[in-house]
Amino acid sequence: MYKPEKEADDTKKRILAAMCSFAVVCGSVSAFPANAGEPYESYNYDSWGEAIPSQAGYIPDRAVSGQELGAGGFDSPSDIFFAGDGLMYIVDTKNDRIVAVDEDMTHTVRIYDSFIMPGGTETTLDKPKGIYISPYNSLMYIADSENERILVSDKSAKVIMEIKAPDDDMYNAPTFKPQRVLADKAGNIYAVLGNITTGAAMFSPEGRFIGFYGANRVQPTAEIIGNYLRELFMSENKRSRRSRSVPTGITSFDIEGDFIFTCTSSSTQRTDTVKKLNAAGKNIFADLSATFGDNVPIYDPIQNTLFAPAIVDIDISEDGCINCLDLTSGRVFQYDEECNLLFITGTKANQLGGVNTAAAVESHGDKIYVLDSTKDTITVFKETVFGAAVHKATKLYNDGYYEEALEPWYEVLRHDGNYRRANIGVASALLRKGDYKGAMKYARIADSPEIYNKAFEGYRAEFIKKHFTAIFLSFFGAVTALLILGRYRKKRRKHKKKGGTAFR
Amino acid sequence: MMDLKQSEWVKHAVTHPIEGFEDMRWKKSGSLKIAVVIVLLFFFAQVAHASLYGFQFGQPHDKTFSIVPYFVKSVVLFAAWTIGNWAVCTLLDGEGTARNICIYSAYSLIPYIVQTYVNVFLSHILVRDEEVFMQVIEIIGVGWSAVLLFSAIRSVHQYSAGKTCMAIVMTIASMFVMLFLLVLFISLVQQIWMFVSTVWTEITYRFRVG
Repeated sequence: MYKPEKEADDTKKRILAAMCSFAVVCGSVSAFPANAGEPYESYNYDSWGEAIPSQAGYIPDRAVSGQELGAGGFDSPSDIFFAGDGLMYIVDTKNDRIVAVDEDMTHTVRIYDSFIMPGGTETTLDKPKGIYISPYNSLMYIADSENERILVSDKSAKVIMEIKAPDDDMYNAPTFKPQRVLADKAGNIYAVLGNITTGAAMFSPEGRFIGFYGANRVQPTAEIIGNYLRELFMSENKRSRRSRSVPTGITSFDIEGDFIFTCTSSSTQRTDTVKKLNAAGKNIFADLSATFGDNVPIYDPIQNTLFAPAIVDIDISEDGCINCLDLTSGRVFQYDEECNLLFITGTKANQLGGVNTAAAVESHGDKIYVLDSTKDTITVFKETVFGAAVHKATKLYNDGYYEEALEPWYEVLRHDGNYRRANIGVASALLRKGDYKGAMKYARIADSPEIYNKAFEGYRAEFIKKHFTAIFLSFFGAVTALLILGRYRKKRRKHKKKGGTAFR
Repeated sequence: MMDLKQSEWVKHAVTHPIEGFEDMRWKKSGSLKIAVVIVLLFFFAQVAHASLYGFQFGQPHDKTFSIVPYFVKSVVLFAAWTIGNWAVCTLLDGEGTARNICIYSAYSLIPYIVQTYVNVFLSHILVRDEEVFMQVIEIIGVGWSAVLLFSAIRSVHQYSAGKTCMAIVMTIASMFVMLFLLVLFISLVQQIWMFVSTVWTEITYRFRVG
């Protein structure tokens, strides 16, 4: 009981010290927004996987409720989506409606609660769960969960198509409860269905069921391997009565270009929690040893259990960053396109900046929006100066402009000298420039032996070139000295043998 | 013949893998002082290998560095080997005393120790592509030490080759037995300590309440 308190105290002290020195060093240099106000301490992970204090990349700006928007209070909203037309669509699940609000979240633009079917009849939603608006054809795709259908409608609430449970041999589930929908460039529709573990259902642009897409793998735990071995020796009859090991289903997904990113909120599973799928359904992150969410599970003293991260929603921002929303900690983990952790934002709290039940995450411009389905609010997080610097540098670095990224990385280091990615960035840039000594220094700070190796190779070659005569001469001198010494000793030994006593 | 100083005996034993230790035994030579110095150098070599290695060959574990595992890996391991070998070979008609086993084993470690220092030095000059040179040096050092250790055990106990093999296997087994007993002992001490501390807590509590 005593130790964690002390540790927390220590971190507090460290952060305080860091903040004080920070304020002294560059208080007058840049107008850095004071990151006071959020009910948590910003942290990041070092190369050892340990949490260290860090600057905030995003700070909470405000929390918006349905009343403020003039749409009446939300009830358990479950999804938000920023469309290409600059409107934000909020899926107000228990009020059976979809609310479109303007970009700055000041007023409601339109409330969709009833749609007109192609035949002219009116239809209403029943517990809608997800929405997607295609940037290619501006159609709304709505996961109308309790009505067991996917609605495709235009912006004026005229239904174009209605997709019901497919009548297909491949689809043998008793229910059809869409949770999230997506559409790709070609107009294919993807839907995450409740209680389906075989991946997202995929429909053709005409609404025909094609098959499943991007199923998760089963995590090979000892129990599953043991069961598999046991089942090898069982009769067909017995095998059919045993419980099957199935992978966890997809919880949510997002599309970016040709790639679909999926996430899984199972807190027992560590494989395939976040995937990047290509058109063939192959996971590009499969070979990456990246983990998503907190490294250490969170202990809940009330339930006396440990909770691993549960990524409930995923969002790809315009510059390619991956935002993962963790239900367990209420935090948004932002990764760059190479799955390097950038920032950790948010917490579980009642104050501004915290959420109770994280439901969905969305990004637009320099803001991140987190939907809370218990507080029925949307928390807006705004990018800080530090966050902007990191994003700029990361973008340049990942696109291969190492030298151009040098200045932005220095800027990042001015804000947070512990930021590992910045040290790696500076080391890579200096290596590219030919400043091997500097690259070695920063590679060492960043704990990156790979970059250090390359920098050292260059440094050594330069050193040898510069001091070639001295090295050659000293080598030559050493060899001759050894030869002379050897001859001298041989002579002396001979002399000794001759002159020494004959017998021992 | 073979009028050598103690330091010259070290050189002789290391550079003559087959006969060196036989000669040493015949002349009743070998210094415990030198053996202790060698074991200490062994310890320092292990520490140097862990913390002074060139950064391009991997991240040093500065943040979690503890000297204890390296002490166990060198000095304690050597002590266990000596005691285990002495215990086994006394039963197997070995002629070696504990002192001689210690000295001969320590001498035979020299190529390994030298290899470690050389590689630690080279790791600051070479880059990853040239790691193969270091690997070659390591293989030579380890192989040489293995041959020397075999020869040392054979001559210190005056065994045949086959019996030496058996003795080495049994020595390793005895080291495991020692480890097992140590674990048992530690858990026993822990339990006793737990018992005593619980009783003590109970007594102090009674006093405070009563």
